[in-house]
Amino acid sequence: MRISPPDAYWKKDVALFFGKRFALAIKMLYPVAIIGPVAASDIPPQYAAAVIGIVAVMAGTFGAGESLTSDLNDGILVRVSLTPISPYRIVFEVLAVNAVLDFLQLLPALLVVFLLHPVPLIWVLAACVALFGTLVAANCIGIFIANFTSSPADVLLYATAILFPLIYVSGFFRNQNPEGIMLTLRGFVPFAYANDALKTVFGLTTDTAPTEVLVYPVLICAVMAFAVCLTAPRLLRTRF
Amino acid sequence: MAKSPDPALEAKNVSRRYKSSGRGVEDVSFSVAPGEVFGLVGPNGSGKSTLLRVLSTAIEPDGGVFFVAGADGLREKRKARARLGLMVDRPTHYGDLSGRANAYFFARAYGVEASKAEAVVSDLLDFFDLAEYADDRVKTYSYGMGKKLALVEALAHRPEVLLLDEPSLGLDYTSQLAFQRKIRDLSESGVAVVLASNQVDEVEALCDRVAFLYRGRVVAQDTPEALISSVEGVRRVVATLRNPVEYGPVEGVEGVGRVVPEGRNLVVHCDERPGIVADVVAGLVRSGGDIVSFSVERPNLEDVFVKLTGEALRRED
Repeated sequence: MRISPPDAYWKKDVALFFGKRFALAIKMLYPVAIIGPVAASDIPPQYAAAVIGIVAVMAGTFGAGESLTSDLNDGILVRVSLTPISPYRIVFEVLAVNAVLDFLQLLPALLVVFLLHPVPLIWVLAACVALFGTLVAANCIGIFIANFTSSPADVLLYATAILFPLIYVSGFFRNQNPEGIMLTLRGFVPFAYANDALKTVFGLTTDTAPTEVLVYPVLICAVMAFAVCLTAPRLLRTRF
Repeated sequence: MAKSPDPALEAKNVSRRYKSSGRGVEDVSFSVAPGEVFGLVGPNGSGKSTLLRVLSTAIEPDGGVFFVAGADGLREKRKARARLGLMVDRPTHYGDLSGRANAYFFARAYGVEASKAEAVVSDLLDFFDLAEYADDRVKTYSYGMGKKLALVEALAHRPEVLLLDEPSLGLDYTSQLAFQRKIRDLSESGVAVVLASNQVDEVEALCDRVAFLYRGRVVAQDTPEALISSVEGVRRVVATLRNPVEYGPVEGVEGVGRVVPEGRNLVVHCDERPGIVADVVAGLVRSGGDIVSFSVERPNLEDVFVKLTGEALRRED
């Protein structure tokens, strides 16, 4: 399969991702630089898990939101939307390729984590799936935000407003032993499953089974992806 | 009697007003036959770009309908888009991709087969003298090169209808000639072209018919020859001055309709009457103008527009 010259929207993003070597090196190294020392340290497992979760959430949300608003400001995304490609397909490709590229960035850091904290394969798989789910969810939020603003700075503001409550509910720092409504709400946030899987990887026992981590975030992210793709006509409209 | 061919592009009572500025287009109707080059002419803010945005399906009209090669532009957007070639007034590209990659991406997005896309793109890049720079990143391109690349992107899928907004603005002379040659070739092969421009020379040279837009409405629509013949009795005096001057005394000359500065030139639209050229020269001298060259030209589309609206096409705001 040939990536360059690109003949699809996602291939264009892949070509751009790998096209700038210095930027690529930075993108690949910064998660290792943050997560590597955390994995090697003896900080409490819940905080080590929270660091990885926060890196994934921020990378996903700001990555999609900022690159989308930048392309919208340039007018290039609207130009692409005037081709016969379905707008829903364009948004789906934006979402999918950004999530996969974000995951690629995290992968070396995750390998370091799994090397330093060996766990059964099912938990490695569960942590990877849940983190990918976190990236999909974060990218969905980024795309959703891009519907309402064409300013990358606003993306940061809106993202913070949306992410803080979600991070709270997920139990990264507080709400670690939720009950009642908070427990129910936590079950609907994909970040929570990544948090539980990573806590297990770092040696903490949680009530979440690996099958739950493999199934629930996938279902939630599918719904989120479907919903955010429905915003395509609004997202890709000509703005004044 | 032979039936006239179905129009390649047909707009019926298209209206679109921007709430913020109140500008836009109102009740615009026209049709363009296959192979016809149709000019949209009007000053900045007259609604040309708005009309092209509607016809390109970028924005929906408040009222009216339009059809692109038979496809309903409101209900069958993707069909309409597939039949359109589009060059917007401020083309944008992926700056970190090469010109070839940008053009290939758009060609494939419009459904050109992979086996043909590279050859088509290469031919067009070569035609517009971009072959040498085709593998450079677009962010290194000049404005004119970016416009040429936008033309390549608009043409690669052999559209049935081509919408061009100020296509040759910013192009060097050689590229303008290449662009005009390409438009004539496309017209001969049956492509309908809508050309929004203020370059009256280009519009006169290329267009089979012209519509004048003024404050969002079509104020006249005909062949360039017919439009120009409607201003018999009008003269166009062009004086090149060494320095800019306040030209009030020229405007005061009996029979002078309008005086428009265009760079170092002063264009005087005036009635045809005995002695008017001498009076204009005298007015220029009274204004303190040092005349470098002076000519009396036949009327052009700009004079038609001035006569119709009392305003110049190219305002020096």
